[in-house]
Amino acid sequence: MADKNGFFDLSKTTLSRRTALKGLAAGAGLAVAPGFVRYSQAQSSAPIKIGFQSHRTGIGAAYGRWYEKTTAAAVKAINDAGGINGRPVEVIIEDDGTDPARGAEVVGKFASQHKTDIVFGTLFSHVVIGSAPAAGEAKIPYFVVSEGHHVASTKLNRYVFQPGITDVKSQIQSMAPWIAANAGKKVTQIFPDFAFGYDHRDYLPPALKAQGADVIAQIAIPPTESSFTKYFPQIPAETEVIYHVMVGPAVLTFVKELGEFYGSNRPQLFGFMDSLEATDINSPGLEFLDGSHFWEGSPRYAQPDDSAAQKAYRAAVGIDDNGAAVGDPKDVSTASHMFGCWETLYVVKKAMEDAGYKGPEDRAKLVEATEALTEFAEGPEHPQGPKTFNGKIHQCFGIQNISKVEGGKLKVVHKTKIEDGLYEPEGDYTTQAL
Amino acid sequence: MLPTPAFAHASDRGHVLLLPTGYYVTGGALAVAISFLVLALLPPDALGRFWRRHLPLIAFGDRLRTIVSLVSFAGFVFLIAAGLFGSRDPLSNPLPLVIWTLLWVGLAMLQGLLGDLWSWLNPWYGPWRIISRLIGREDEAQETRPPAWLGCWPAVFLFFAFAWFELIDPAPDDPARLAFAAGLYWLATFIAMLVFGYRGWSRSCEFLTVFFAMVARFALLERNEVERDEDGRLNLCWPGAKLLAAEPLPASGIAFLLLSLSSVSFDGLSKTFFWLGLFSINPLEYPGRTALIGIGSFGLVLTFVLLAAAFFLTVVLGQHLAASRHSFGQATGLLVWSIVPIALAYHVAHYLKALLVDGQYAIAALSDPFALGWNLFGTADMQIEAGVVAGADSAWWLWNLQAGIIIAGHMLAVLVAHGLAWRLHPVPSRAALSQLPLTVLMIAYTVFGLWLLATPTAG
Repeated sequence: MADKNGFFDLSKTTLSRRTALKGLAAGAGLAVAPGFVRYSQAQSSAPIKIGFQSHRTGIGAAYGRWYEKTTAAAVKAINDAGGINGRPVEVIIEDDGTDPARGAEVVGKFASQHKTDIVFGTLFSHVVIGSAPAAGEAKIPYFVVSEGHHVASTKLNRYVFQPGITDVKSQIQSMAPWIAANAGKKVTQIFPDFAFGYDHRDYLPPALKAQGADVIAQIAIPPTESSFTKYFPQIPAETEVIYHVMVGPAVLTFVKELGEFYGSNRPQLFGFMDSLEATDINSPGLEFLDGSHFWEGSPRYAQPDDSAAQKAYRAAVGIDDNGAAVGDPKDVSTASHMFGCWETLYVVKKAMEDAGYKGPEDRAKLVEATEALTEFAEGPEHPQGPKTFNGKIHQCFGIQNISKVEGGKLKVVHKTKIEDGLYEPEGDYTTQAL
Repeated sequence: MLPTPAFAHASDRGHVLLLPTGYYVTGGALAVAISFLVLALLPPDALGRFWRRHLPLIAFGDRLRTIVSLVSFAGFVFLIAAGLFGSRDPLSNPLPLVIWTLLWVGLAMLQGLLGDLWSWLNPWYGPWRIISRLIGREDEAQETRPPAWLGCWPAVFLFFAFAWFELIDPAPDDPARLAFAAGLYWLATFIAMLVFGYRGWSRSCEFLTVFFAMVARFALLERNEVERDEDGRLNLCWPGAKLLAAEPLPASGIAFLLLSLSSVSFDGLSKTFFWLGLFSINPLEYPGRTALIGIGSFGLVLTFVLLAAAFFLTVVLGQHLAASRHSFGQATGLLVWSIVPIALAYHVAHYLKALLVDGQYAIAALSDPFALGWNLFGTADMQIEAGVVAGADSAWWLWNLQAGIIIAGHMLAVLVAHGLAWRLHPVPSRAALSQLPLTVLMIAYTVFGLWLLATPTAG
């Protein structure tokens, strides 16, 4: 992508994802590159700088890799279409090591050293929670793609937003109508015994109750457990649906042992794709999942009725019909979550344009412009589906997918309505001072 | 408390959990035990004669060594500049990828296979030759050598610091942080080499040279020392043959060797559910490196102390069983060489996956070291195939490869220990008896090594 002067030229439509993303070397003088002629009509041709707080190493690295790919694809698409406010977008990656303390440090670096316009892209909730105070202190907008309920709980601060992915409380709640109507009325939950499992433990029963169904047993499994057979006798015999949200390396063992426990005569199974993100659904040990159902944020497998926007998104990110990397079929994506990076960047674009954003001095205007957003229509910018946005709690609400494991693939059998996942706001960020 | 979704993904270890790893552990332990029994029955001199056979290959001198090292130094400077001014992303910046993946994993493997490449590739020798000639200190006789009582304790402490930085520091991959650490270490070492001489300092104080030289003792190639005008001849030899002629190590050398094995063992152990469970840390909600600095530092020291204690105990017991007249120091210093194949096997097995994936990132990053859109080697836009280590099939062959490496490493260790024991105890029955406790330790370490690769881990 280098022109004859050795500068890399953003005006070429063939801009590779690599140059778009690796972009900012510390102090690299991009603004003087000849390629920026194209943006010269804008008041400033300097790039919009997005600080990508990325899980490049540590426990989140498998997700981080796909978040990076999706972000690169979105930035390329945005730049190909003229950037934001006529300015190119540049992403600076800092690795947070999936470490909350390091995360806060990285936010500080973005604000004071790299002087980015915003911070973006965090997935792991403990890193979000650890970094949010630093963002608030530096008064730098912090757009996370975490699906945690922490943003909507209004326990963070006014600078933290989650406009690209529905939070877990809404996801769980929106599953209840379908489960009660199609899977069964007597539900037993099996979940890991820590915060992640507690979301499901706490949010599902009231949602099911409202649909005339009941959680009849809750089985909490210690997080360090690697064999599960001894817990299965606790599942009540009258159980019609097993709702499982196990995570970690022992998931395959869990499914295999559950299969051995039940044989061919099993209750309905309902799970969350969080258990098997980046894992091939056809892996040995998972045979027992055939015919069972899963929540999916965005479908891993291409569906017959995929919209043009969904097809374009998949092609841009580089995932094949099975949801794996094009050219590397064993590299299964984190499809249920990574679309949030794409959509969040388009929300940032919209909010910056609404605010007439010029630079870090306009960060407060950007916060208010984001809070003023109310809905995002399905389309190339929001390929996962339509969403509403609640500016008071800084959280978006979208449709969810329920998919059936069938013939070694996940087939979407139901799409929830946005209303299925709405709940009473727990606070109001807009009352906080900027 | 705020709700905290976790994304601990099912990971490749999940596939390993479904494999019959218990059989491998039993089989590995048996293989090591049987190697001991077979060796005890073999006539010692026949084995030694066979093992020492070598095939002379070409001979070459040291003329190019300065140039090779200077090129390596230029590359190092380039990488430090990339670390300071290139991409902030540790998977796009070549510095962390070259140091942690190509050097620490890749070169260690090559050293174990091909011999002491580091003595040519290190970034100090060339600059030292030039500067010492300029300031008229080229004559080794003029140099102030490091005092003898220091032994290689500086290398032990520096290696510990290095292991701490790699395994416990919150951000060893951060390009700028690593550039400062590596740059300062180069400079301090270079000054020390000017003061104490290249040979003196690199042999006992520069930890990378000490480590790589140790690993090279295992290699299939050896090169005779260059003497006066005669070129050094390269010989093809059996793995570990060079260990047989090794001199007993002083206490500091023993500590260095044990530390090299205990640190990589701790790297594996620190991520297991077992270890995290001891400190009531939820592995599915892994709190990150910063929160684990205290526990990690403790663990790094603890594994060293435990390994050293176990090793010393087996040597004492063995010497007692054989009614040995050798001093404890001499026996330990000699037998500790049998740890080398184990350390190398652990290193290879443990970092194999990292090499396969991060090695690709390194190749891509080297083409565009400053993130300026360059494509120096035509690899800048190559697709990184992370799938090479993903899925059940990869898990199966990787596990078999790792298990094979661990078991082979321990079998070779038994062989080396056997050869060394003959030097201490020329009477066959005594030699065999003296090794019995050490063999038990090696069987236990085989089991431990396989367990580390099979047990649930965070991340």
